[in-house]
Amino acid sequence: MKQIVGVADMKVSNNPAEDVITYSLGSCIGLVIYDPVVRVGGILHYMLPESAIDKEKAVQKPFMFADTGIPRLFKTAYAMGAMKPRIKIFVAGGAEILDQNGFFNIGKRNYLALKKMFFKNKVMIDKQEVGGNINRTVRIEIASGDIFLKTSGSKEVKI
Amino acid sequence: MTTLEKMIREIKELTPMPAVANRLLEMIEEPDSSINDIARIIQYDPVMTVDILKICNSAYLGLKIPAESIKDAVNMLGTDQIVQLAMVKSSAKVLSGHQQGYGLEQGDMWRYSVSSAVIAKQVALRLGLNNKSTIFTAALIKDIGKIILEKYVFKDYKKIDTLVKKSGYSFREAEKKVLGIDHAELGALIGKIWKFSPRMIKLIQHHHLRDDSMMNDKEVAGVYLADCICMMMGNGVGADGLSYRFKDQLMKIHNISHSDITAIMAEFGVNMNEVKILLKMAQ
Repeated sequence: MKQIVGVADMKVSNNPAEDVITYSLGSCIGLVIYDPVVRVGGILHYMLPESAIDKEKAVQKPFMFADTGIPRLFKTAYAMGAMKPRIKIFVAGGAEILDQNGFFNIGKRNYLALKKMFFKNKVMIDKQEVGGNINRTVRIEIASGDIFLKTSGSKEVKI
Repeated sequence: MTTLEKMIREIKELTPMPAVANRLLEMIEEPDSSINDIARIIQYDPVMTVDILKICNSAYLGLKIPAESIKDAVNMLGTDQIVQLAMVKSSAKVLSGHQQGYGLEQGDMWRYSVSSAVIAKQVALRLGLNNKSTIFTAALIKDIGKIILEKYVFKDYKKIDTLVKKSGYSFREAEKKVLGIDHAELGALIGKIWKFSPRMIKLIQHHHLRDDSMMNDKEVAGVYLADCICMMMGNGVGADGLSYRFKDQLMKIHNISHSDITAIMAEFGVNMNEVKILLKMAQ
């Protein structure tokens, strides 16, 4: 069964019969985490780097922002038995439109927000597929922890 | 027969958008059009009338007293909302197929189009554009050229993709180089054949800002910006991905800041349900 993670959404599962998937990451980031010992995995699909732009919306939709979504993803996985040192991390998305520089480059800013938070909390990314001008779909199998990536018009590949 | 002649023949074989859509498009551009004018046009189409009343009386719009006629509906919900519902309903059939050449599955382009249109309303507000329905409609149908061009893109995908990945072309520029026409131009051609207004044709033709001189045009800027934001959001994006050009200069001309873009995105983030409802309604 597929648990679908929408835009500004998060799903964590420990059901080995389930896949967690998020479609169509443009400049958004799909953060995938997995603890292979307890087989707990999940995906956060956030849109924007900082909740400071609109605190009210951050309360309404905490998964919309990196700074309010990322801690919730980890805490939910911890509550299901996952432990920080065992967690594997994959990051996808953060794409940009051609010539999209500086402040207008939301994809890059989304990725930098995550890197900053990970650096502060001593969290390492295991693998990533970020940037470029492509749209990505990412899926994780909870039973195995295998991660699959698909770009529009191409076949799905195992990471 | 040249490729262009073949494309024109294919356009003529398409089932066009219903006549009511065209009449509404004309009407929304007339500053003097009244609620009665809009209601009269919709009433000519009994199927559209029933559909719109059904939507208006659904739980989503939450009318306290049910609308019994289109005139009631326009009075209660406003012209913009009724026109937008009619345009979504009218364009569903044309845009909801799959476009293999662009790697778009069934319904992907339709989802993208409706998302763009919903974003365009926010952009129109930010730019202070009065005619929200024009911008909404243009954002909704701007990619119509893809429904014809996709077969040609499919055949020459490798050439187009190589130009994009290796030579720094945008996807639109690569279409033009390889096929002699891009999806925005072809969309404008469909608009001409289907007798859209010159203004709507212009908005379709320039939705990727092929001509920098169009940057000053606020309506063109609005549709372009809604498309860029939708592309970033990724919903229903195909193999062309985000391979289109972003024009920083346009942001300066229209005084749009980074915060404006993120605010529009955040607004869309909380209003995504509107897209779901519009998609469901058009089924």
